[in-house]
Amino acid sequence: MHSQLLHIFRNTPLGRESFMQSLYFCKNVGATPVVHIPKHIKFLMYFDNDVVQVDLDGSYLTDPETAEAHALELITSYDLTPKFLTPKNFTASTLPDIPTNFDFMCCPRSVSDLSSKIGLGYIGPRVRRIVSSARFPVLITSPVFKPWKRLAVFFGGSANALNALKLGLRLARETGVPLDIFTQAENHSREDYEAIVQEHNLMEELERLQRNWTFFEEGTFESNLYVVPHDALVVLGACGHGLIRDLVFGSKMEQIQSTIPNNLLIVGPYYTAGL
Amino acid sequence: MRSPTTWRRPAMWHVFRSDDRLLLIIAGAVVGICSGVAAVVLNQALIAVLGWLRSYHTYGWSVLLPAAGAALSSLFLNKIMREGAGHGVPEVIYSVSRYGGLMRLRSSFSRLISSCLTIGSGGSAGPEAPIVMSGSAIGSNIARLLSLNDRQRVTLVGCGAAGAISAIFNAPISGVIFSMEVILGEWAASHLIPIAIAAVAGTEISYLLQGRQIPFSHQQFNIGFIEILACIGLAVLSALASIILTRTIRAVHHRADHIRWPAWLKAAGGGCAVGIIGLYLPMVLGEGYHAIRTMIEGHFAPGIGLVFIVCLAKIVATALTLGSGGSGGIFAPCLVIGSFVGLSYHRVLVYLWPAFDWVQEGCFVLLGMAGLISAMLQAPLTGIFLIVEITGGYEVILPLIIVSAISTSLCHYVEPASFYLKDLVDKGQLLRPGTDARVLADLEIRELLETDCISVHADMLLREFVDIVKQSRRNLFPVEDRRTGHFLGMIYMDDIRPYLFDPLMYDTVLVGQLMDTQVKTVAPDDDVLEVMERMDADHLFNMPVVANQRFIGMISKSTLLDQYRKELMVQTYHLNR
Repeated sequence: MHSQLLHIFRNTPLGRESFMQSLYFCKNVGATPVVHIPKHIKFLMYFDNDVVQVDLDGSYLTDPETAEAHALELITSYDLTPKFLTPKNFTASTLPDIPTNFDFMCCPRSVSDLSSKIGLGYIGPRVRRIVSSARFPVLITSPVFKPWKRLAVFFGGSANALNALKLGLRLARETGVPLDIFTQAENHSREDYEAIVQEHNLMEELERLQRNWTFFEEGTFESNLYVVPHDALVVLGACGHGLIRDLVFGSKMEQIQSTIPNNLLIVGPYYTAGL
Repeated sequence: MRSPTTWRRPAMWHVFRSDDRLLLIIAGAVVGICSGVAAVVLNQALIAVLGWLRSYHTYGWSVLLPAAGAALSSLFLNKIMREGAGHGVPEVIYSVSRYGGLMRLRSSFSRLISSCLTIGSGGSAGPEAPIVMSGSAIGSNIARLLSLNDRQRVTLVGCGAAGAISAIFNAPISGVIFSMEVILGEWAASHLIPIAIAAVAGTEISYLLQGRQIPFSHQQFNIGFIEILACIGLAVLSALASIILTRTIRAVHHRADHIRWPAWLKAAGGGCAVGIIGLYLPMVLGEGYHAIRTMIEGHFAPGIGLVFIVCLAKIVATALTLGSGGSGGIFAPCLVIGSFVGLSYHRVLVYLWPAFDWVQEGCFVLLGMAGLISAMLQAPLTGIFLIVEITGGYEVILPLIIVSAISTSLCHYVEPASFYLKDLVDKGQLLRPGTDARVLADLEIRELLETDCISVHADMLLREFVDIVKQSRRNLFPVEDRRTGHFLGMIYMDDIRPYLFDPLMYDTVLVGQLMDTQVKTVAPDDDVLEVMERMDADHLFNMPVVANQRFIGMISKSTLLDQYRKELMVQTYHLNR
């Protein structure tokens, strides 16, 4: 099935890096980039059970007269078909509604805050809201263009991790790049995790597509993350556990995004994966 | 190990899922209470601010007060809350119409503060729309917290609106009717009980916090047949005033849109103009309920000429306040202008036929209010029951019905959409449940795709194609480029039948020579409504769906109508329960 990736274009060098990540992703996955060049400083995204207002960082409106030409130049350099999104609906005259029926969305680590704040360990509140509300996975890009040559899926056994695994398998099948799986064993044996995969009829597909399944049975999660290839697109689930558990024990997603600078493809709780 | 995510969806908890109706009733009561509190808070804040600033309105520089209030209000909304400005109610209707009542949390309090600044400083606007918006946003966010579905969320949005109107006017029936007639636009039994509970909760919380006060005092009116006949003239005048008010607000709004000033400066400009008007006619400032009370009680001293001028001044002041970007609603200005219209009309009647024993002028004031509200909102029941409830008597019900019905009809003839709906209708964004546009808007091309077509290649010989025809159940075939996979055109069986029955052609003709390359295509994210219109215009029954130059399926009228019927059944299910 044809898929589409939404990208909010920022007409700056930093925005260009993000956009190149989007285009690289689209090229590999066979998706069409749908580019929105903002005309207003804010927009709304209506999800199934939430409405998220994205107040953009002012740099998104830089040089609007050259934005489309810059975007077009990059799209054609990747031999992709350009598709620009013009909002049809407006909640208020300066508040367009951006559709949410895409297959992927690309976000830098923050869309509302100054780019100087963007760094490891920081994901802006709007991006978090989008991840936790969207049906699509969110591609959180590294600050500079970083082509990925393999996929790294973090699988911790939760429902969201299972969705991340399904997505990883799908991408591996569609792109043909090798797939590695990483699991931090937490009071469970390898067999327990394999049983979950088996239970969901993913084992056959997994054995066909995966290259390695690495179990971290010792060491802290952060230190174990060093073995994740630097040129991997990291696929992981977010918000899979309860708020209290996350507050007390910390979230794996937070640990990963604070430690590794790779591109992240984050699957939220409302994502419904299909093989 | 597999942590369930139901903590994010409290509505999935067994305690809530055991009875959906009970859940909605309880949630409706909570929303009604919250709306009532919001109404009381804004009411008390306005009393405090107006009381504090009243003494300053005697000074010449007081013309700057509404300007400062409007500017602060605009800055607060645009810079701090980052909300798009608006009158409130259209945004609520828009969210109900398009997004199942999803509203931002910030809307539950932002308009309370901004309208307090605008109205408290003397701007000519009403607090009702901001409170309705707050109540509705509270309902929407409680529904979000409980992970309710769209239909339940819309009910809670209606509960918020009902609770707000009920608490402001101590009028629960009007709250229910306003919510269903104006906000939801449908009379469904599934909405009624939670909304009624919310209206009662809103009224009771207002009683509890402010005492049992009726906004306008109850008067006894003995209205005769001649006065009832005379109401027809009042209905015409009310409709006229409503049309003038609607058009003046829109004209100022459009003019303000074209001025390249910052939003706060435009609001300040409008506020300053209102301040100048208020310097000479102070009764146009603020919500204006005090003037209505005096008129109902028959103590309004100014003569007919001045009443007429004040009426026009109130229209202009309201248009300047709201059109330039001030925050507030039109509900209270409508009541004030309607009361001036009623008073003027009564005094004209008395002037023309002084010997006739006319009913007290307060009666016509009430009728004028009902006429203007009904015409402006094109909601006659809201107008009728609001006046009945806020005056605490049914004596004038017959003339109320006449005035409301005639003024609504006349206004509808000139302005087909109400003030709240006009922009939405103009942009095609009013999608009431069960209507054709709403059903089509809820369908997506992706869910209508037929993927059982067999693609063929342009360089294929007719002989190979005939073999494919034997396997296919469809009589149309998309043609693709073998190398790139790009969509090139379509083959329709009807067009190529002569070739199929001529074996001599089998090894000489290529599929590419037979295909129709002038095919109109559809993109997966096209609006179904537009696609349907294109099919009707071109007399097409099928269209290929093409994305990124690749064929991904067909869309046909038969599948579309099949899905249409299913969607319609879902949307109108509650009506048949």
